[in-house]
Amino acid sequence: MASGGGGAYSYSLTVFSPSGKLVQIEHALAAVSSGTTSLGIKASNGIVIATERKSSSILIDDAVIEKVAVICPNIGIVYSGMGPDFRVLVTRARKSAQSYWKIHGEYPPTKILTQEIANIMQQATHSGGVRPYGVSLLVAGWDVNRGPMLYQVDPSGSFWAWKASAIGKNMVNAKTFLEKRYNDDISLEDAVHTALLTLKEGFEGQMTEKTIEIGVVTVPSEAELEEGKVEGTGRYKPTFRKLSEEEIRDYLAL
Amino acid sequence: MSIMQYNGGSVIAMVGKDCVAIASDLRLGVQSLSIATNFQKIFPVTDRLYLGLPGLASDVATLHERFRLLTNMYTIKEEREIEPETFAQLVSSTLYEKRFGPYFIEPVVAGMQKTPSGGYKPFIAATDLIGCLNFAKDFVVAGTASEKLFGVAEGLWEPDLEAEDLFETISQTLLNAVDRDAFSGWGAVVHVITKDKVVTRKLKGRMD
Amino acid sequence: MNSLTERFATTGYAAELKRAKDVLGEEEDGLDPMWGSQAGFGNLASGVVKFNIPTVPDPSAFLRMHTDDFADPSCRIKIKHGTTTLAFRFQGGVIVAVDSRATAGSYVASGTVKKVIEINPYLLGTMAGGAADCQYWETYLGMQCRLHELRNRERISVAAASKYLSNLVYSYKGMGLSMGTMICGWDKTGPAVFYVDSDGTRLKGDLFSVGSGSTFAYGVLDQGYRWDLTDEEAQELGRRSIYAAGHRDAFSGNTINLFHVKEDGWKFIGNYDVSKMHYDGPDNTGGYAYELRVEGKSSANPPVTQ
Repeated sequence: MASGGGGAYSYSLTVFSPSGKLVQIEHALAAVSSGTTSLGIKASNGIVIATERKSSSILIDDAVIEKVAVICPNIGIVYSGMGPDFRVLVTRARKSAQSYWKIHGEYPPTKILTQEIANIMQQATHSGGVRPYGVSLLVAGWDVNRGPMLYQVDPSGSFWAWKASAIGKNMVNAKTFLEKRYNDDISLEDAVHTALLTLKEGFEGQMTEKTIEIGVVTVPSEAELEEGKVEGTGRYKPTFRKLSEEEIRDYLAL
Repeated sequence: MSIMQYNGGSVIAMVGKDCVAIASDLRLGVQSLSIATNFQKIFPVTDRLYLGLPGLASDVATLHERFRLLTNMYTIKEEREIEPETFAQLVSSTLYEKRFGPYFIEPVVAGMQKTPSGGYKPFIAATDLIGCLNFAKDFVVAGTASEKLFGVAEGLWEPDLEAEDLFETISQTLLNAVDRDAFSGWGAVVHVITKDKVVTRKLKGRMD
Repeated sequence: MNSLTERFATTGYAAELKRAKDVLGEEEDGLDPMWGSQAGFGNLASGVVKFNIPTVPDPSAFLRMHTDDFADPSCRIKIKHGTTTLAFRFQGGVIVAVDSRATAGSYVASGTVKKVIEINPYLLGTMAGGAADCQYWETYLGMQCRLHELRNRERISVAAASKYLSNLVYSYKGMGLSMGTMICGWDKTGPAVFYVDSDGTRLKGDLFSVGSGSTFAYGVLDQGYRWDLTDEEAQELGRRSIYAAGHRDAFSGNTINLFHVKEDGWKFIGNYDVSKMHYDGPDNTGGYAYELRVEGKSSANPPVTQ
């Protein structure tokens, strides 16, 4: 009746197959694996997340595509997999960050926000009438307690902290590449270059400031921290930002 | 008579040099009738953060339990203890949640706040019964004797008091203020919080 | 001759009566500039009430609207309220004991109020309710008592004095007077206590307590009262009763004023701090505090170790 490898178990998300698998989740992972490659590297003084930005037609105005998203001033995420699912998750994550701010007067630590997103994704694996999210995420953020943190969240709702990771089409090669290049005291500048080199492996077409996106977490200096909130705004200086096309062009030129 | 004065009671907090102090009276009354001389209005939240809850006695109990729940949940989720400033925000948002049917409590928060460089700095705050935050740099007051506390504190408080001097200042402020308030008094308790310890003392006050 | 000396003498009943009448404007002489406005006394004694009355259709409703009843704490004018007073008659005379706290709302406006009004050497009045009303009318009562004495060449009885006051406040009924008082003294009949209030109530009795703390005072008083109390026992009972009220009632406290009326007139026994009574007692031999009375007496109340 049902097509594909899961047989009768492949439709209902909430029914385990006899082998203990929820086949829909595996399908979701397959969707991620066919998505564009994204990666993240934690450096000694920050984090970089980067992804490939491919449009299916030259007629698409790719200026409005956004694959690296700012969630709140200290956290950004990137994805591999299904764009629309990512968009929904970004909205949910932003709302979650704001409601945390509303209660605590500060933005959530990276781990708390990651948990929130992971919970949303997990709920889609055992609720009736829905399918799992077809994305994996890399969450990069900074908070005063844990410092810079990089998490990966999968469609099952599981998440881990990484020093460097890659998701999407080229993830196996990229991870092998990162394993070779990574060391603990890599600087943010070096990490951006490593990220670009890693993306270049298996990049289809020309890698330009138009075809990649980069976001960075910058760890604030002790002086900046002691200074506290930015005068007049009542908020701390943002620690996550997306690199502009000019900045990316400069990195690519080196 | 206002429900805020039904049970009586007052709380004050003051900033010192590398220390804060929070103090309250111990009266529980029902309007003019005094019932108990040992009614706790100040509760520890963490080892260096205290919460004062002057106002309606039933809401003192309710809010104490509620904040215990919220801080325990926070500690578990965040894997760390809540900082005074964050807790003050939590108090504010918890109270505003009941904007149209408020708890009849005006909380006072006092504690030592961790700084990014690993030190501690004094922190005090107070809110009204629907959570409007007041971060003061000198002292905050609340309860039926609040006007009197303001007056005395305005006269006695000075900057950079050492822990022992701060204890003396807050004690005299509280005792003299509650003597001018019919609904506060019947003994007092003072907590002086420094970065590594809390000293709690009971005061002998007027018993009328 | 006799009448002539009487008329021009500077001492003696007739001279004093004349002077008093002068002061009160009862006779042709009119006002003595020494007395200034005479604070209303002159007007009243001439038999006509001449208080300024608000020029509104219903003056008493107007006054009620702007003065403090417990019903409306947000009013503009707060009349001082809250008190504990007591008086009782016993074998050795009359004990009068009062607290000294005056409150306006929750504010303790004074802790040193004299709530026993010394009408004359044989008569005491207590003060509860409106402080000004009690002070004014009981002082006025003192003047009338003196006039009675001058006219009749004998002291006024407690019954007559209290009745005078009762009739007087009754004539102002509904105008917002607020008084709850005990007129205490010693006359030909012996020790006497009368309760008079601004509703017009007048009661003769052995034992009264008036004010917000009266229930607490009654508790102790009823329990310890006997006719054949010794003077010391009676004084202690009065003191202990006011302490109880000062302790339990938010609107009573600060200090206790204790008076004892005997055949030869009243005597002020002393002023006692309620908190000192709590911790140390009147003679430093033991406070009235509950904690002190139970400490170490049972496992639930172990001795305080510090």
